[in-house]
Amino acid sequence: MLVLTRKAGEGIVIGDDIRITVVEIKGGAIRIGIEAPADKKIYRQEIYERICRENQEAAQWNPSDLDALSESLQKRKRP
Amino acid sequence: MNIISGTRFGDIEYEPDKTLHFPEGLIGFGHLREFVVMPQNKPGPLFWIQSVEDPALAFVLTDPSGFFLDYAVAPDAGERRKLGLEQDDECLVLAVVTVPPDRRITLNLAAPIFFAPKNNRALQVILEKTSWQTRTPLPQV
Repeated sequence: MLVLTRKAGEGIVIGDDIRITVVEIKGGAIRIGIEAPADKKIYRQEIYERICRENQEAAQWNPSDLDALSESLQKRKRP
Repeated sequence: MNIISGTRFGDIEYEPDKTLHFPEGLIGFGHLREFVVMPQNKPGPLFWIQSVEDPALAFVLTDPSGFFLDYAVAPDAGERRKLGLEQDDECLVLAVVTVPPDRRITLNLAAPIFFAPKNNRALQVILEKTSWQTRTPLPQV
């Protein structure tokens, strides 16, 4: 991992189209400003990782459970 | 006809031009771009999609609006572009279902899938500012 030291107001440029600026450092937290193309998705790391884990979990299932589930869900479905 | 061998459903024959296309893959599975929508054995709100690229990976999906009437999400302009949607094109919302061993299923309402029936494209997105949970149990009846 590349590690750089930056002060408030300083920034980092990644490639030609991403700029990250340290906006403010206060009470152990850093506010970061990010400029990137609109189609680049930007997420808080813990949220992104939670979705990755949930997708991995969701890939673990047994076809035999599903037939039973489909049946019980069909019964509760609104007419 | 192409074949995917060794899935949990056995070998699957499919037509390559009828797959569901995820231009960005699923989140955490960016390499999985093509899925086959499997025929349902029994009627019901659940259906499943099988990865073309990885026989071991399949997901259960459902339309969450049948369970959560107030679940209203829609793609933003960038997402509509990725889906190839124009002004009046229809966009459906799907949710990934997690089936734990106790069969108390949950819906991932924090990361819905937008689906464009027009061109069979789909996109999973993360809702950052939402109170919907990754593991939302079905409402009690």
